[in-house]
Parts: sequence; structure tokens; C-alpha cells
Amino acid sequence: MRYPTRLDAVPKVTGKARYAVDFAAHGMLFSALVRSERGHAILGGVDAEAALSVKGVVAVITGEDLAPLFPRYGHIVADHPILAIGKVRYLGEPVALVVAEDRYSAHDGAEAVEVLYQDLPTVMNPDQALADGAPLLHTTDYGVGDRSFSEAHSEPRSDNVCHRVDLHWGDVEQAMSRADHVVETSTSYPMLYGYAMEPYNALAHFEDGYLKVITTAQHPFMVRDDLARVFSLPLSHVRVTSPYVGGGYGTKSYTKVEPLAAVGAWYTGRPVKVEFDATGSILTTRADSARVTIRSGFSSDGRLLARDVDLILDTGAYADNGPLVLSKASNRSFGPYRNPNVRVRGRAVYTNTVPSSSYRGFGAPQVSLASELNMDQAAEVLRIDPGELRRRNLIPPGERHYPGKRPMDADLAADLDLLLEGLGWGKPTPERHGIGFGVTASDAGAFPVSTATVKILPDGSALLSTGSSEMGQGSRTALSLIASRELGIPLERVAISQSDTHATPYERTSGASRTTTLVGLAIQRACLQLLARLEEVAVELKGGPPTEVKAAEGTVVGPWGDLSYGEVVQEWFGGQLGELSATGVVRRAGDLAELPPFWEIGASGVKVRVDPDTGQVFPLRMVTVADVGHAIHPEMLKGQDVGAATQGLGAALFEELVYDGPQLVNPNLVEYRVPRAKDMPGEIVSIVAERGDGVGPYGAKGGGEGTLNPMGAATAAAVARAVGRWPDRLPLTPERVWRLMRESGR
Amino acid sequence: MGVLPAFRLHRPTTLAQALELVNDDRMPYAGGTELLLAMKEGLLRPTHLVDLKGIGSLRDVRESGSGVSIGALVTHTQAADHPIVVDRLAGLAAVLNRVGNPRVRATGTLAGNLCFAEPRSDVAAALIALGGEVEIASAEGRRAMAVEDFVIGPYTTALEQGELVTGILVPVQPDLRFAYLKHQTTERPTLGVAAAANSHCSLVVGAVGFAPQVFRSPSPSDLDPSAIADRVEVVPDLTGSEEYKRHLVEVYVRRAVAALGGRR
Amino acid sequence: MIGLDTVEIAPRINGRETVLEVPVRMTLAEMLRDRLGLYGVKVSCEMQVCGVCTVLVDGQPVSSCTFLAADTDGRRVLTVEGLAEGDRLHPIQQAFVDRFALQCGFCTPGFIMMTKHLLERSPLPDREEIVEHFDGNLCRCTGYAPIIEAVQDAAGRLGRRGS
Repeated sequence: MRYPTRLDAVPKVTGKARYAVDFAAHGMLFSALVRSERGHAILGGVDAEAALSVKGVVAVITGEDLAPLFPRYGHIVADHPILAIGKVRYLGEPVALVVAEDRYSAHDGAEAVEVLYQDLPTVMNPDQALADGAPLLHTTDYGVGDRSFSEAHSEPRSDNVCHRVDLHWGDVEQAMSRADHVVETSTSYPMLYGYAMEPYNALAHFEDGYLKVITTAQHPFMVRDDLARVFSLPLSHVRVTSPYVGGGYGTKSYTKVEPLAAVGAWYTGRPVKVEFDATGSILTTRADSARVTIRSGFSSDGRLLARDVDLILDTGAYADNGPLVLSKASNRSFGPYRNPNVRVRGRAVYTNTVPSSSYRGFGAPQVSLASELNMDQAAEVLRIDPGELRRRNLIPPGERHYPGKRPMDADLAADLDLLLEGLGWGKPTPERHGIGFGVTASDAGAFPVSTATVKILPDGSALLSTGSSEMGQGSRTALSLIASRELGIPLERVAISQSDTHATPYERTSGASRTTTLVGLAIQRACLQLLARLEEVAVELKGGPPTEVKAAEGTVVGPWGDLSYGEVVQEWFGGQLGELSATGVVRRAGDLAELPPFWEIGASGVKVRVDPDTGQVFPLRMVTVADVGHAIHPEMLKGQDVGAATQGLGAALFEELVYDGPQLVNPNLVEYRVPRAKDMPGEIVSIVAERGDGVGPYGAKGGGEGTLNPMGAATAAAVARAVGRWPDRLPLTPERVWRLMRESGR
Repeated sequence: MGVLPAFRLHRPTTLAQALELVNDDRMPYAGGTELLLAMKEGLLRPTHLVDLKGIGSLRDVRESGSGVSIGALVTHTQAADHPIVVDRLAGLAAVLNRVGNPRVRATGTLAGNLCFAEPRSDVAAALIALGGEVEIASAEGRRAMAVEDFVIGPYTTALEQGELVTGILVPVQPDLRFAYLKHQTTERPTLGVAAAANSHCSLVVGAVGFAPQVFRSPSPSDLDPSAIADRVEVVPDLTGSEEYKRHLVEVYVRRAVAALGGRR
Repeated sequence: MIGLDTVEIAPRINGRETVLEVPVRMTLAEMLRDRLGLYGVKVSCEMQVCGVCTVLVDGQPVSSCTFLAADTDGRRVLTVEGLAEGDRLHPIQQAFVDRFALQCGFCTPGFIMMTKHLLERSPLPDREEIVEHFDGNLCRCTGYAPIIEAVQDAAGRLGRRGS
């Protein structure tokens, strides 16, 4: 079968696709930020006089100016000031927004602002932050944000722990004492920047009593909620629109720069554009670094008896999504294995660094590095093939590995076999070559709430409306395909409007790999209702027993003959006018009562060669397996999977944000290296396993993120097999690998 | 999006006009690949730029005595594609074809590359090994200086107030063997080793220190990679510690010697 | 010797003669986007390593984020908007569509302009040459494989068209 090209492809290759950054408004002001030059300090004052005398500068806005508003945001804990209030908590934090008639004046004005600081001691990593007597970043309590995150808490603090998770079942200590082997693995996962290529930006203005914001956000409805609270507006009075999003990967989940643009517009009464550069974006959101120790007890025949996990995330200066990332990291830390005894102790810790939030994988890459390497190391100890060791422990389809959660909706052992075959595992490899792989399962899909509307217009064409965003994942195409298939009309006659809190129905998020499954389900439900409505209307118009009237393939067929969908609409309304519509709703009920909506499987691996002189790692072959139940569009799915694995490879080999004191050493794309074409293996194999075992349309379930999750561990294992020593941290820079080789004597 | 700081632009059309204009505050500007980037980052804030691109006489590539003269406005791409360079200086052309990326090569000039004196410059290391000279003009007259003496430190050259580089002269040595090897896992090389040999051998270790470092010997086989690795000045950074970079120097010097047909 | 603060320039942009007065500190990307509405020109890293702002000036690729608008006087500037003829996509564009060589699309105009430059220099590049040519172009979505396929596909289409 030939699948259609992407519906957004032509606009994107012609330069006509509009991203948030491409929008301007009449009378729009530009802006530039004054950022903190200190890691932790009391704000002594902001002198804006010189800046205000720069030609073109309209206003210099500081945290103090926001007193009439609710001046913070944060969907879990509302601890994040729009502009620093009283003190700064990381170097790069927004202190003042300079608004001007053009971008040059804004820049010059920002340079002229003087800020006085009284330094406070900093805590730059979790060790410092957790030490006795460590200076506290936050001492006051804040409003709790989104109450659907039930673990959220907000009290005055006596330590720098932003969030804690304690998870356990069975009796870990007792099981460890019975184990024939206990294998312990400790790893460090690097601090990352997700680098979506469209930097953070937003355009805000107040019009007709509404706050209107165009932004590069994945979840416009959640941004709306934060903005409504800032300005005490009804949710109905905030309109957030996300046009094409220039890369998301979770880095554009939740509120980022929208409040800055909005307070600029509020303060000046004119439209204000906030447009960060790449460095500004790095200083806005990063991904959590993690230190993980995992101890596993095994019987001599390789059965997993217990896992004990200790996990610390460096969540930076503000909570943002850190608590949820910790929660997810904890859920994903013990692996998709049958395991009667589990204990996880997790802490997310405030430090004087750039706040971290979600990034593709959402805690899973951080913990899987430890948990999958631990399986490999155990295999070595147990003298069992690492593929076989996993096979003996992987949770079988239909069984629960996590009490209270959905039973496994995937055949992990079959996925593993596909992966190992693709990698050529078991065949002899040349000197200095190694193969590594991993298998993960993430509780994905987020909270299952989706709404979608489908309309049939009087010419029989269909219009979908959904709050989900198109950020490259292909939602526009996949969702249109589902509607085209359900209604039986050609894809060319299906249009879609997306991500506008005024014009499209509610969507919780475009994240957690949920769109095809959950929005797809909402669209499928809307289409079914719409077909029923067409039948009902046809019966009303033409008569006949309802059981003999059937709408499908663009036509309503009854005892009286055929009517096209368009004819039904026209006859009912009496002319070339009107429309029939239906709204499909997805809630946590029925098939979706049990969370997660689906397990997102990660199965990927890599074959590498290591330069024996320099330690440089050359990936030769990369294999991904997508266990997605049903692929709505296999070509797009493979693109997602390979892209995700590539990001995993970047973290494995190159990427790391590095601090020197309070200063980020490499907040730019020259010194923070992401993978390039040259870095990619010459052989890439992307396998799609379709077993119809998902809750979504046609048995589909989410994908596009899973293949990233095992890549760190897979690459580390491949390198270990090439050099004879287990790495304990990423990225595997040439120097680190060279040191491993020296230690192993190989 | 970032913004360039304010400056004023001068557009001389003759060398004499340009020489009158340049001083510490009025920076010469040609390709701008390094300069505009540094300005956008706020690292350099010249209040005036003197655009040399209107000076036609600085655009030539020509044979000059026993060498090739490459004008100050010649870009990496233009030089690498020029028949004279391809024919007479194939090794240099190969280096130029791997500088930065195609946009950097299409806009950036060799002379600008030397004048910026980025410590990790491929071009400086290669030109030093090839015995290149910088042609310099000032109101007082003209002088030439070996590239080796011109690049004296990070972002520092021997160019004096009121002087401009007008071109680069590279000697053509028909029996010369040449190799340039670099270790590059980030945007700029961690190490670049240039080596040239005929009746004598020059080996230049670039990128690991503050400036390219030159080692000479009668033949490639006389170079001692481990002694060179011990002696070079090394600056640790995100791409490697001092110990690792010394190790790399040894590896790459050995590879360069091998590439020249040496035995070690 | 005060120097210029603004300059009048007359570049030929996507085949059209254009006269503008621009501040000397204005970059080419700012001019194309803010003044001329050519939003196909994207800006990201601003350090000449990501390639999204690539346009061709007299056929040569430049990073328009760090290239002075003032330097385009009398020169030909080609952006991604200048490739298609009406509704008919340029063969490179069609190859990117057919090969799924894009996802979010933010890097796409830059890759397409770099491909145009490559195929003019080297009509049938092999994988190694393509990969080398893209050393200054980042894509965060695709893992590059489909982009490389699209370039080879486009080379084939252009070769057939030329013969």
C-alpha cells in the first residue's frame, strides 16, 4: 500500500508554513530580556533610567511592576516568577523585559539596564543542595497549580527537595537476602537541552477584552490556564493559538515565554513579541540530569527477584514539570520485567541552575541507562546471554508488572527478538566493535482527555477540529487519515484545524505519544456519531426502517437508493448550506479507565566501532522496533522512531550542558553539540510490529518516543563490549572511552 | 533572535582609503564569518566597520614569483576552486574544502581567518606548515611576515595599528608531500596536525594550544611523536583534558608522519 | 569619516529588483523576514552551525543571520520562496515531500537551499559528499536518513530533466 505524503509537506518545503515566530501584529512592539548575571542573589534594584532614554524604548518592566497580577506560573507548583521578584535563583533568569518600537532599540535598551545584586551562596548540584545547612532556594509556599497532579504539594520548605517519590511493593530486603546474586549499577545521565530549532517565542495582545497569544507551544490549553490565573481572567477570555510548532520533543510542553509577552502587552497596551535566541532558549528549559543507583537480586537461573532504585534528579531553580518527571522516572526505573519486589526512592532537587522540565522520554532515558545496563551486567555475572536474561524476565502480554496499572499491552519478547535479529546479535563482531540494546516500557499517554469535532459540509467534504498541535509528529496527516478512513471519503476532501483554545475543542496535551491514540479515538468516535447522525437525518428525509439505512464510503444507502453525505446535508437544510457535526469525547472511562492508556515500548539498539587510539565512537548500525499495535502511517512512524533514537544517540555520545560555578559553559550550539548527518550510522533499520493490541483506532497505541529511551544504555553497552569496561556516565566522549580502554587494558 | 550592536559602516574603494580609516576602533571587515558572530554574541563591539570588499585589487589569486598570492578578499571556496590553487597547492585546497561548513567557506576569507587568530584554525596550521607569508600594507609601505610569526596567540596577531593584510603568499614546492589531519568531534577541531616535507620537514600542531606550534626536522622519520606530545602547550577544555589532548597529539603526529611516508 | 548608519541597497530578490534603505546593523535574515515577509527564512542557532537561515547570494550559500543586509546591494538573493514555479514544486522540493524528508519543517528551507547549491556543484553526489555538505545543517526530527535520500532522489530528477 502506498501511503500519502504529509499534508504539511508542501507548505513546509515552499517556506509558506507559518510558525509562531513568523507572526506579527499591527503596532507590535519588540522586546529584549535583561537576564540575571548571578546564580543566586537578592535583587537590590533595577535602574531603568538609561534604558528608558534609548530612542524607541517604550517600557522597562520588572517583577515589581507585576504586583497587580498573579506574577507567577507553574502547572504543578506555581513557583516560577514571570520576572524575578526579590531574588534571582539562576544565572540567566529573566529580570526585566525591555519593550521597544523595533528590535534594535529593545536590544540597546536591555544593555543599558543596570541591575544591583547582593550575592547569596549557590547550590549548583544535588550534593550541594542536599547538604546540611545548604542555602534554600525556596522557603515560601506557592499556590498549587493543576490539581490533576494529585501528588502536588506546596508548603514552606526546610530543604531543597522539590518533590519526593516513594514507591514499593513486596519486600525488597528479604528478597535480596534470598538472591543468589545481587548486582548494583550506578549511572549519571547528563543535563540536556532538547533543542527544538524554533526558539521560544510568543506574540501577545489584548483585544475585545480577550488576551490573545500566538505561541510555539505544544499544549496551548495548559498555557491558557496559566495565563488566565496571571490576569484573573475567565478561561474563556484567553485565546492561545499554536500554529506549526518548529520542534517540540516535550521542550515546548507547558508555559514558557507566553507570560512575558502577555505582561508586555498588559503593561504597554500594545501587541508585544517575545523572541528568544538559542542561548535564551537554553536558559529557559533543560532536561533533568540524573544520578541513579539500582540494585537487583537474581536467582541463579536468572529470575529477577527484586529491584531497589535510588534516584536523584537535578530539577533546577523552579519546579516546572520536575515533580511529574520524577514521578514518571520512578515508574520507569525498574524496567518492564516480572518483579515481585520493588522499591524506588526518588527525589527531585532544586539547584541554582536552569529549570528543567519535560523532554522526550520524560525520565525514562535517565533511569533506563541504569536499569538496562544493570541487566547487561547481571547477564555477565550470571553467565547468561543478555537477550536471554531479558526474555526470562520480560512481562508477558496481559500480565501486570506494576500493581494497579494497565496490564502489559505488548509482546516485549517478540519485540526483543526482532531487535536482536536486526542487530545481528550473536554473530561474531570484529575487534573493537560492539552491539548494545535495550527494552523499556513507559507509562505513556498522559491523562486521557481528548475532544474532537468532525463536520460534514454541504459538498460532502469534512472538517476536523482538534486542540492537538502539529509539531512535526504528523498529527495533521495521521488524524486526517483516520477521519478519511472512518467516513470513507478521500483524504483530499478532509481538512483539519488545530490548536486554538477558542476555535478548537479541548485537548489536554500534545505529548506523551498520545495524539494518534487518544485524539485519533476522539475523531473516530466523532465520525461514528456523525455517520449515525447522517443515517438518522436520511431516515427523517426519506423514511425507511433505520436498520436498512447505512452511511459509509461517502454515501448513505437506504431502500430508497443512494444519497451522498453532501446531499443529506443539503436536503436537510434546504440548499447549499448548513453542516452536520459531532463531537467525540475521550475520558478516563471504559477501556481507558485503567492508566496508563498504553505502555509505550522502547526497543532499540546500536552497533559501534571504537577508534582504539582516540576513543572516538562510530555508530555503524542502528535498529529501532516500533510496537505500536497498528501503524496509521508507517512511513511517518518510522521517521519519528529514527528521529527519537537519534536524539538518544546524541545524549549517548555528544550532548551535555556543563556548569562551571554558576555559569553555564556551553549555552550555544557550537559548544553543545547535537548529532549531525555525519554522526549517523550508515545503516538504519526501523522495524514496525503491528499486533493490534492498543486501545486506539484499529488497535493503535503511541510511538515516536520509546526508541529514544534505551539508546543511552544500548550505546553504553555497545561501547562496553567493544572496550571491555562498563561506562557509568554519558555522554561517551572520546576521552571517556579512551579512559575506559586504559582501565580495561584492552 | 539576537541583534548586532550598533556600528557605522565605511566603504573604501582603494587600499589607501582603507589604510586611512582603520584603527583600533575601526575594524576591517571582509567575510564577517567570525566578526559578525562575535559581535552578535557581544564579545566584540567595534563602533565602526571598514568594509574592504570594495577594494578590487584584493580579490586576485595569481602566481607570484615561486609562489601563489591569495588576495585578502578571497574566500575559502574561491581559493579552493581556483585553478592555480588546485593545480599548484592541492594540499591547501583540500584543507580549505574542510574548513567550517560550506557557508563559512563561501563567505569567510583566508586572510580574515588568520587575522581573527582563532586558536583552532585549520588554515593557520596548514599555512604555517606550507611556509606561507602574510602580505601587509600600511601608510608607510608594505612588508611580509611568515604566518608562523603573524599568529602569536589566541585572537592576537602581530599586525600593528594602521596595518592591513592584503594577501597571503604560499610558496609552491613541487616535490612537497603534505598532510593535514584533524580530530574533530565538535564544531571546531580539538586538534589539527599539518605536516609538510621535502628536503626538510615542518610539522604544525594546531588547535590544542593558544597558537599553532611548529616542530622541524630533517625528515618526517626524525619527528618523535611522544616527545612532541610532551612538549606542546595544551589548553584543556570541554573536548578534552590536558592528558587526553597530549595523547591525541602523539596519535595524530604519528598518523601525519605515516601519511608523509615516514616510518614511525 | 563618520561612516554610514543606513544604506540604500538594490538587491535582486527571488528574481525581483528591490530597493530598500536598511540600517547597516540589519542582518539579511532580518531584512528578508521583517521587511519583505519572506518567512521561509528561519533563524535558530545564530552561530552559522544550524543552517536554517541559509539563502543563496549570487549562488553561494550564506548564513543570513550573520550576514549584513547592506552587503546584498546589486546581488542576487534566492530564498526558498523563489524555487517553485507557481504551484509547480522545484524537483528538490518534490523530493523532500515524497521522501518524508521533514517533520517539524523548521530546518527544511535551509536544507533545500543547501541542496540546491550542492547539486549545482556536484550533480550526482554520493552519500559521503552529501553528509559532508550538510556539516553545517542540523535537523532535530528526522535522523537525516530521509534527507539524504531526498537529495539523491532530487539529483536523479534534475538529471533526467537536464538530459
